[in-house]
Amino acid sequence: MAVEGLTAIAAALAVGITGIGAALAEYGIGSAAVGATAENKDVFGLVLLLTVIPETIVIFGLVVALLMLF
Amino acid sequence: MTAIMGPSPYIYVCTRLRVRKAKLIPREEYLRMLNMSLPEITRVIQELEYKREIDELSHAFSGINLIEVALSWNLAKNYQNVITIAPGGLKEMTESYLRRWDIQNVLTILRGISQGMARGKIKEVLVPAGELDRTFLDRLLAEDSMDRIVEALKGWRLYPVLKKLYTRAAESGSFAELENELYKKFYAEIISDAKTVKGGKSLLEYILLEIDIRNIQNLIRIRQQKAGGDVRGFMIPGSTLTEEEFQRLSLITEGEEFVRELRQKIRNKALLTMLDDLRKEEGSTSLHAHEIALTRLQLKTVELMAKLHPFSIWSILAYLDLKKFEIFNLRAITRGKEANLPVERIKGYLVM
Repeated sequence: MAVEGLTAIAAALAVGITGIGAALAEYGIGSAAVGATAENKDVFGLVLLLTVIPETIVIFGLVVALLMLF
Repeated sequence: MTAIMGPSPYIYVCTRLRVRKAKLIPREEYLRMLNMSLPEITRVIQELEYKREIDELSHAFSGINLIEVALSWNLAKNYQNVITIAPGGLKEMTESYLRRWDIQNVLTILRGISQGMARGKIKEVLVPAGELDRTFLDRLLAEDSMDRIVEALKGWRLYPVLKKLYTRAAESGSFAELENELYKKFYAEIISDAKTVKGGKSLLEYILLEIDIRNIQNLIRIRQQKAGGDVRGFMIPGSTLTEEEFQRLSLITEGEEFVRELRQKIRNKALLTMLDDLRKEEGSTSLHAHEIALTRLQLKTVELMAKLHPFSIWSILAYLDLKKFEIFNLRAITRGKEANLPVERIKGYLVM
């Protein structure tokens, strides 16, 4: 019971903390991306890609969480 | 997080201005334009950012005047837009920095009217980029005498200086002293603004560099023209030099000694390097070349600082100044081509 509970907490932390990390990274990139797009609409595709790159951090966290749970 | 990167509106605005800065005309394009004819240059300008203004004004102006007015309108529009999008402290600093255009506009109106120029002609050269907007400037132009224009400026922050010196300027027909005093007051105000606003340290640093550069330019001019006498009135106070030092430096005739003395006062590294070049070239290079070199140094410094501090007032200052010189360069090219000046001569006037 104790091990299962700790595993669940660890999985939650893995997803939660990486989520916060991704949010912080996207905060700056997103602001800059909107600014760049406002001046030049052609860069929309590129900045969208750059904005979602930090999402990979959450995916790593999710994978670690799933490995722990299953 | 905000301590590291700055709040998101700062990032947004500074990125926008960095993109705009990247879109400014590069050096190669100026060199290409120098080898074009006037109609070709006009076409190139039309294809750039100035299309809308040229289209808007084409019914009222033509030829070189159309280009000139379109460039001024575009500059004013861009500067006003920067004020609109800048957040908090950046907005305050941008407004303070752009107030110099008010002085230019007021003096242009007063000078134009005292010379008997048509109101329409004066309007063409106004750049309403500061606090006094286009409507207010139009109202000033509609006044029937200079006295009434000065009266209408009662609410302007520099009105006390204007009121004090206007009568003497109008009687003598020379607005130079009034201009000097207005700019001195402007610099004093912007220094005090920069000291109180959040993040104003960078603006203060830049303004002090600008004052040093203006003072050195004035010193070079005074020395080359061998003006002599009491020249303390030509100095902008607030930065490195004091009035007494300025006066003493202006009287040094030996070039080597002048640079050596100046070097002991100046602390800015880039300016020191520039002074070394000045020492090597004194006498061989024209006054104009020195002035362009100093302006280039100012722009290089602001660009470098904008790279080091991307989400600060530096990015805004870099855009504002580079944009201003883009307009100056385009004007120099078009006016030079119209006057059939040789390419090398026009090139000497460009800040690239």
